[in-house]
Amino acid sequence: MKIQVNGSKAGDKESGCALCGATWGDYYEEIDGERLFFCCDVCATEFKNMLKEVKNRTGWKKIDEITINGNFYKGRTCIAKSGGNEFKFYVRFNDNAEVETFKVTD
Amino acid sequence: MPICPVCEYRSTEWKEVAGHLYSLTRKSDATHVMWLNRNLTIKEVDVEKLSEMLEEFFSIRGELSSWIREKFIQKFYGENPHPFILAMQKPNRAVLLGYVIEHQHFLKNWVKVLSEIIFKTDEDDVVKYELDNINVEYFGYNGKPSHYELLLRMGESLGMPRKEILGYSPLPSTKTAINTWRRIAIERDWVETLAAMHSLELVADKTLRKYGAKMHYFNEAILTSNDYPQEVKDFLREGYEADQSHAGEALTLVDKYSKDEERVQVTVLRSFDAFAKYLTARLERAMEFDSKVILQ
Repeated sequence: MKIQVNGSKAGDKESGCALCGATWGDYYEEIDGERLFFCCDVCATEFKNMLKEVKNRTGWKKIDEITINGNFYKGRTCIAKSGGNEFKFYVRFNDNAEVETFKVTD
Repeated sequence: MPICPVCEYRSTEWKEVAGHLYSLTRKSDATHVMWLNRNLTIKEVDVEKLSEMLEEFFSIRGELSSWIREKFIQKFYGENPHPFILAMQKPNRAVLLGYVIEHQHFLKNWVKVLSEIIFKTDEDDVVKYELDNINVEYFGYNGKPSHYELLLRMGESLGMPRKEILGYSPLPSTKTAINTWRRIAIERDWVETLAAMHSLELVADKTLRKYGAKMHYFNEAILTSNDYPQEVKDFLREGYEADQSHAGEALTLVDKYSKDEERVQVTVLRSFDAFAKYLTARLERAMEFDSKVILQ
C-alpha cells in the first residue's frame, strides 16, 4: 500500500508512522499483507479502523493507496484509491482509537 | 524541577526526564509518544537533543503567565492556526450554529468548574474574581445579559429556536473535553484549575497579536458588518471586550499563587489539548448544517 502523510511517504521507520508520520516508537503490524510501521499501538488501531470503515463503505477488498492530511486534533482529510477508483473522506478518532467522526467529502 | 509532562516523573535534571521519555518511546508507549508528537516534534531525536528541547519548551522567561500565553499562541494561533479560528475569519451560518450548539455545554460546565476553584481556595481575591466571572458568564451584570444568554440569542437570530438549541446533546469531543476539565477541577490544585480554565479565555484576547498571534479570534470587521444579525455582533463583541481582562487578571493570580510551576504547566497543556478537541467539535457540528465546512 502506498501511504502519504501530510505530503511525505510513510509506513516504515525511516519515513514515519503510517497514520501520523512520526518516527518515534517501534511498533509494527501486518495490514493487508504488508508490515507497516506505527509510532504506537493507538495509531495502528486507528489506521486499521479507518481502513475497515473505508472497505465497509466502498465494498473494496484492498486499498492500493491512501493519502492522509491533518492530525489528531483537527481530524484527517483522506483520499483512498483502489483499482481506478477514488474515495475521499474526513475521519477523526476518539481517545480509544475508534472512529468518532467519518464523513464522505466528495 | 524537571517533570515528565505525561506521568509527572520528576528529576533534578532534564537529561534524566529525557532519558525516561526516550526509553518509553522505544517501547512505543502511546501516551508518551503522543505527547512528544503533539507538543515537541514528530521526528525522533536522541536523548541529548530531547533534553535540550524539553528544557527549552518548559523554560519560563519572566513570569509563568508569559509561558502560558506563548504556548497558547503556538498551539492555536501559530503557523497552523486551529481550523475553527480560520473558519471564524468569515463564519457562515453553519459555523456560528456549530459554535452556539456546542458552546452552551461548555458554558454550563465553565461555571461548575469555577465553583470548584471557589470551594478549594481560601484567597479572597480569587473568590471575588471567580464570582465576578460566573456573574458575567451566567447571570449578566449591570443590567446586561449574560454571555450564555447572548449566545442563545445569537442562535435564535440564525433561525434556530431556543428550545431546539437547548435540545442538542454535546458531541462526543465536547463531552470528552468537558470531562477533562471536570477531572482537572476535582483532582488538581485550585491554582492549576484557575490556570487551566482562564488561559482558555486568551482565545479572544485582542492583545495576542502583540505577542505573535497571526490573527484575531474572528474578523473584527464582523462587528460593523451588515452581513450578520445584531445578535451575532452582540455576542462576539461581549467576548472580545471581556476576555482580555478576564484572562489577564486570572494569569496575574496564577503568577501570584503558583507554588509548583511545572505542575501548572502540565495541567495547562492538558487543558489546551481538550480545548483543541472542543474547537474541532464546533466545526463538526457545523458540518451538519453545511457539509462544505472545511476542517483542514
